[in-house]
This record gives sequence, C-alpha cells and structure tokens, in this order.
Amino acid sequence: MLIVDINSVLLIDWEKRKTILQNLKFDIDRGKVFTILGKNGTGKSTLIKSLTVLLPSEHYVVEGKVLFDGTDLLKSSEDKLRETRKHKIRYVFQDAHGSFDPLKKIKYYFDLSNVSPLKIEELLHFFLLPPYKKLSALHSYELSGGMAQRLLIVLALLANPDLLILDEPTSGVDYAVMNLILLKIKNFVRDNDKSVLIVTQDINFALKSSDYIAYLSDGKLSRFYTPEDLIISTDIAIKNIIESFKELSNASA
Amino acid sequence: MLLLKVENISYSVTVKEERKKQFEILKNVSFKVLSGEIIGICGESGGGKSTLAKVIAGLIKPDSGKIILDSVPGKERKSSPIQILFQNHEEVLNPYRKIQSIIDEALKISGVDRSSIENGREKVLSSVGFPEELYNRRGMELSGGEQQRAALARILAVKPDLLILDEPFSAQDVESQLNLVNLFKRLNKEFNLTMICISHDLRILRNLANRVIILKDGEIVESGITKEVFDNPQKDYTKFLLSAESLELTYEEIKTPIKN
Repeated sequence: MLIVDINSVLLIDWEKRKTILQNLKFDIDRGKVFTILGKNGTGKSTLIKSLTVLLPSEHYVVEGKVLFDGTDLLKSSEDKLRETRKHKIRYVFQDAHGSFDPLKKIKYYFDLSNVSPLKIEELLHFFLLPPYKKLSALHSYELSGGMAQRLLIVLALLANPDLLILDEPTSGVDYAVMNLILLKIKNFVRDNDKSVLIVTQDINFALKSSDYIAYLSDGKLSRFYTPEDLIISTDIAIKNIIESFKELSNASA
Repeated sequence: MLLLKVENISYSVTVKEERKKQFEILKNVSFKVLSGEIIGICGESGGGKSTLAKVIAGLIKPDSGKIILDSVPGKERKSSPIQILFQNHEEVLNPYRKIQSIIDEALKISGVDRSSIENGREKVLSSVGFPEELYNRRGMELSGGEQQRAALARILAVKPDLLILDEPFSAQDVESQLNLVNLFKRLNKEFNLTMICISHDLRILRNLANRVIILKDGEIVESGITKEVFDNPQKDYTKFLLSAESLELTYEEIKTPIKN
C-alpha cells in the first residue's frame, strides 16, 4: 500500500544543510501494525511527517519517493495531499489539544466526518467517552488531555482511512485506555484490512501491539523485525534497549 | 525507625460549576513510612496520588487527619524537611537562571557556609550525574532529563528527610527510566534518603519500592511488601492494574467497574 523510499531528510538552517534522517526504506502492507521505536528526539515525528509532505518546505528537504497506491506523494499537489490526509492516511499527533481549534465545538468535528451520530456514538462508547450529545456541545479545552487524545483517535477512525498513523499513542494515558487503544488497533487492522503505523518510545506497547517493529536511532532506521525477532536481535542499539527493558521488568527491590 | 505517620487524611473539593457538588479526593488515608524506605504509591489517573503527595508535603491542608514527621532532632532548617520532585520539572526550574546559581542558593538556604559552597555544589550535582559542562547553562537550555536531574540536585542540596517523587518516569524511554531507577536506589543507599515514589508504572515500582500502596478513588485498596502484593494480589483492583499493565485486558474487563 505504502512504499517508502526516502534517501534523506535534510534540515536547512540558514545556509547549512543537516541530514536528520537517512535511508528510510520500507513497505507498509495491508492488514498489519507497524511500529517505529525510538527515544525522544531521534526524529520519529519528523519521519512520519515526511511521508505526506507535512514538514515546512522552507526548512526541510525530503529526497526520495513515497508511493501510496502507486502515486508519489512527494510529487503530489497540495490539494491531492490534503485529500489523502483527510481520507486515506490519517494522523493522530501527540499534542492532542493542539490538534483542535479551541474556538470550535466538538460538533464541528463530528459534522466534518460525515458519519451518522449513531455510528459516532458507537465509537465514543467504545473509548469510554461521554455520549455524542454531551461531547458535541463542548469545546476541546474542556476535555482532559487523555479525553482529547481518545477523541482524536475516534475522529481519525471515523474517516476509515487505509493507513492510520499514531504518534506516541500511549503517552499520558493510563493503562486501561492503553488496553482500549490496543484492542481497537487490532480490530481496525484485522476487520477492515487496513494498516497502522505507530511511532513510540513505549517498548512494552510496541511488543504487544505490532506485527513488525523497526528501531530508529542516530537518524537511521533498522529493518522491520517481528516482536519475537526484535527481542533476540544482535543489533547493538536494539540489544541495549531490550536489556534495559528486561532489567527494569524483572528486577525486584 | 518510624519517620512519617499519615493519619486518617481526608480531602475534598467543592465544584461551583456543578451545583457546589463535593468531590472526595482522599478518604481516610493512613500509613506509616520507616526511615530509609522507598514506598511506591500507584493507581490510575484521578485516584488521588498527586493530591496525597501535596498533602504530605504540606502544600495542601487536608480537611481532617494528621501528618506527623519524626524529623532528625537538633536540625535547624529554613527549608521544608519534605521535598517533592514535581512531574513538570521544567516549570520548577527558573528558565533564565544558571543551574550553578540555583544550586548555590539552595546550599546557602541549607546552611552551608560560603567557603564550602563550591564543594557542596560539586557533590550534589555529581551525585545525580549532572555533567560539569552544563553547570553554567540556564534552565531553558537543558533537555527534559537534564532539567529533572538539576531539579533533583536542588532538592538534595537542602538535605530533606523525605523525598517525594511525583511520576518521575513519565515520558521517558526505557534506558532513561532504568538509569533513573538506579540513581534513586543509589541515593537511597548513600544518603539513607527515605522516598515516596508516585507512579502508575507498576513495573518500575516493582523494581524500586520496598513497599507499595495501591490507591483507588482516594482510598487505599491494598498495601504491603511490593513483591508480595504484585506476586499475590488480594484485591480485584490490584489484579486489574496488573493485567492492564501487561496489556492483556479484554473489553469487558476494561468496562466493568471494580469495587474497592
């Protein structure tokens, strides 16, 4: 469905060009959950933004190709890209409140989705959010961070995209909600033959949710491993995080 | 030796917007902390963890109940013997002030005389692994992790009897979490520093805390030796938290409310 063949992502700072990411080459197939694991500041958000030309062109240059159903997104018109991001490739960014216009009520976003209130109600119910009527009347700033994030996932799912991209879906949510997100991702992929791409530093969530996981460090992306293979990878950077994870999980005080 | 006694703490807030409805945030919370212990407090968001921390530190006055600290005798101090390392440490450090000057001030408050300040600064900052080349940086010029260590160093400079850590591990990758756990363990041993660690992360508390308290809707549901509580949980809520952490809950389990 999505073939990523990016040679490099460059940051232009005055006259200087700095390579932030290089050699991003991977395919995203239907019916699978892919995760890119990496620490804070390794460029995970930059990576997902580079896929659909979301990085401001005055500061970034993306060299390569991103083929989505045969079309190169990096060469597409702004209109085409906007359509793609509205219907086909939906993002849920980490800054949930920042994704809403504070002057608009939530009803505005429900109306934009063109989905019947009944269907919306079903998803709200699943994510343990207030009912349609109550939520419609609220502004985004009246929601807690966790609620706003769940609502963003609901809105993204309402578009029924081919690819759902989630940026740190577990940050700031408690375990019950994490379980909900996990269940929904699995259903979405399985029942609709869709795909999910997650970028996160949460290795626990990555191992439980993903079919394939790659590791991003120093601007370079490893190959995609199955969770079982990731654990026994001999790549030194991956080995280090797996060891830390095991040590944190197994030791007792 | 007993250091802290939390006795029947209750705290509620009145919400004007909801017809002056009263919400009980903490309900009759009691527990004891021994000197040199690390106690974990866990539970979901909204369970009252952070409020409890603020009550213990004296930042919030409870409606009823007592906090009794058996402080080290003969110690005169200008700073509170109970210090909190807040979750939003970037808002705690003055972004325009150099780290060195922030630490020096804390040392002066704790009564360190002028000639020993340089030595003291070096000691606290190195004890939290804060690199020397950053001493002259300002708060805003540091990464989140560096700010957290600087904030921790400032707390250590006033030599608290009890350190409360409020969600110190959130938004960090596993390697940083592990480093931090090891740092807290080392500080606990080296300075016999008693700690209360608030976290929703059971995995980390299992590693760090000697004893653990499970808080739900402002009430203590279960408490005991960490390993015993987690290996053999008695209460449904503790079991729920443990399976939630392993991401193994079914939809029915997530939806069904658990009674305390």
